[in-house]
Amino acid sequence: MLTSAVLQAINGVSLAALLFLLASGFTLSFGLMRVVNMAHGAYYLLGGYIGLSIVQKTGSFALALAGGGAAIVVLGYLIDRFLIRRTGENHLAQVLLTVGVAFVLGDVALQIWGGDNLMVPAPAFLKGAVVLPGGVYYPKYRFVLIFLGVIVGLVLWLLYRKTQLGAVVRAGVDDREQVNATGINVDRLFVMVSALASFLAGMAGVAGGAFLTLYPGAEWEILVYALVVVIVGGLGSLEGAMIGALIVGLLDAYGRWLLPEFSYFVLFGPIALLMLFRPRGLFGRDH
Amino acid sequence: MEKARIALLLVALAAALALPFTAGPFWTGLVTQMYIFGLLALSVDLLLGHAGLFSLTHASFFAVSAYTVAILHVRYDVPTALAAPAGILAGTLLALVFGLAVRTRGVYFILITIAFGYVVWGVAHRWSSFTGGDNGVTNVPFPAIGAAAITSHTQYYYLVLAAIIVCGLGYRVFMRSPFGLGLRGIKASESRMQSLGFRTSAHLYAAFVLSGALASFAGVLYVYYNKFVNPVAASFPVSVEAALMAIVGGTGTIIGPFLGAAVVLGLRNWVSSFFEMHASIMGAVFIATVLWAPQGLVGIAGRIRARWRKARRG
Repeated sequence: MLTSAVLQAINGVSLAALLFLLASGFTLSFGLMRVVNMAHGAYYLLGGYIGLSIVQKTGSFALALAGGGAAIVVLGYLIDRFLIRRTGENHLAQVLLTVGVAFVLGDVALQIWGGDNLMVPAPAFLKGAVVLPGGVYYPKYRFVLIFLGVIVGLVLWLLYRKTQLGAVVRAGVDDREQVNATGINVDRLFVMVSALASFLAGMAGVAGGAFLTLYPGAEWEILVYALVVVIVGGLGSLEGAMIGALIVGLLDAYGRWLLPEFSYFVLFGPIALLMLFRPRGLFGRDH
Repeated sequence: MEKARIALLLVALAAALALPFTAGPFWTGLVTQMYIFGLLALSVDLLLGHAGLFSLTHASFFAVSAYTVAILHVRYDVPTALAAPAGILAGTLLALVFGLAVRTRGVYFILITIAFGYVVWGVAHRWSSFTGGDNGVTNVPFPAIGAAAITSHTQYYYLVLAAIIVCGLGYRVFMRSPFGLGLRGIKASESRMQSLGFRTSAHLYAAFVLSGALASFAGVLYVYYNKFVNPVAASFPVSVEAALMAIVGGTGTIIGPFLGAAVVLGLRNWVSSFFEMHASIMGAVFIATVLWAPQGLVGIAGRIRARWRKARRG
C-alpha cells in the first residue's frame, strides 16, 4: 500500500512535469497577448508525431525533441500571424477559430500517421527501470521527464523573474500600451513568447508520446488537463502553472489508482471548490 | 410581426409539414436531426446570444438526459411518460451544479465549462459497468404514452417538429419577458444592471439552469431518434458544434440556431459523401465563420436587406 502510494506520487509528479510544459506556454500567451489558443493540444500531438518520424529516420531522441518543437514554432507562427491575430481580443472568436484549427490539424495528422496508438521510442539509455529503496522498480524515463520539467520550470522562472527580458514581459502582462509607449517593440515580444509557447508544446508532445502514446483524440485529452492546470493556478501566472500542474498531476494519479471509473471527478472537485472561494484560481487576477 | 415575415414562416411551416411526403426517408431523417441539434444550439444561444456567456458544456446536459432515458427504458423497462421527464430532470439537476460556473466570466467561464464537459464525457467513457462504456446503451424504443405510440420515423419527425415549434414559441415569450430583457441588460452592461439593483449572478444562474433544461429536452428527442447513446454525445465536439451552429445561423434569434444546424449538418452530410476528411471541413467552417461571417446568416440577411432598402429609397 505504502509503496503504491509512493509510486503514484512519482506518476503524478511526472505527469505534472509534462502538463507544466504545455500549460506554461498556454498561460504565458494568455497573460501577455490575451490569446486563448485551443490548438495547443493539437500542437502537442503534431509535435509528438513529427518527433516520432524524426526518431524513426535518425534514431536520435534529442533531435526529435528539438525538431518536434521547432516544427511547431514555424506552424504556430503562421497560425498566429495569419489567423489568430485577426480576431483582436475577442475570446469567443479566438476559441472558435483555434478549435477549428485544431480540427484541421488533428485530421491532417490522422491522414499522415493513421489512427493507431503510436509510441515514441525513448533512447536506450533511458529505457529500463530504476530500483528504488525498498526494492521497487520504476521506469527510468519518468524520472528523466521530471528532471526535464524541473529544468524547464527553473529556466522559465529565472527568465521571467530575474532577467530584463522577463521584466519587460511582466510589464507587458500588466499594461501593454504603456510598455509600447516606452519604445519597446511589443510585437517582437509577442512573437518571441508565442514561439516559446509553441516550442514547449511541440517538445511536450515528443516527451509525452514516449509514455502516454500518441493517438487521434489525445490532443483534446491533454488540452483539458492543461486547461484545468491553468484554471487552478490562475490564467496568466507562471507560478500558478507550476503549482496547478503538481495539484492536477497528483490528483490524477491518485484518482486513477483509488477511483479508476471516476478519476475525472477527482479533478472536478478542486475546480468546483476553487470556484466557490477563488474564481480566478490560486494566482489569477482580473482580466 | 410584419406581414412578409409571417408569410415566410407559413411557407416554411408548409414545407416542413410536406417534407416526409416529398423528400423520402433519408431527408426526413436528416431534417429531424437538424431540428434536434437546432434545439440544442438554441439552448446554447440562450446564454450566448442573450446573456453573453459562451458555454462549452451543453453536450453534458444533452447526454446525461439521453443516457437517463436510455437506461430507464432498456434496463428498467420504464414507460416514456416517466423516462422522458426523468431525463429532463437529470440534465437539469446537472445544470444546477454546473451553474456554479456563472461565478466566473469571460475566458474563465469558457475554460471551466470545457473542463466540466470533460468530466461528464469521462464518466460516460470510463464508468462502463453503468454507462456501457464506448458501446453505450442501445435498443432504445420509440416513445409511447398509453395507447398513443410512435411507430415510424415519419411520425417521429412530426413529433419533433411539434416539439420545436412549442419550444420556439415558449422561448420567444420568455425572452420578451422581464427576465429575458434583464438578461440582455446584463449582456450589454453588467455593472449598470447591478447598480439598478439586479442580482446579476442569480439572474445568470437561472438562465444557465433554464438553458440546461432546454438542452436536456433536446437530449430526450435525440435518444428516441438515434435509438442509442454513447460517449460521443457528451463529447466536446458536440458542445462546440452546437455553439458554431448558433453563430453560423445568427445569435440572439430563434431561427438562427436552426438555420445554423441545417447548414452545418447539411454540409457535413454532403461533404462526407465524397471527401474523407470531414473533420477538416468542419474546422474550415469554424475558421471561415470567425473570419468572414461573425454575425451569421441572419446578420448577412440583415445587411442585404438594409442595402436593398437603401437602394430603393435611393
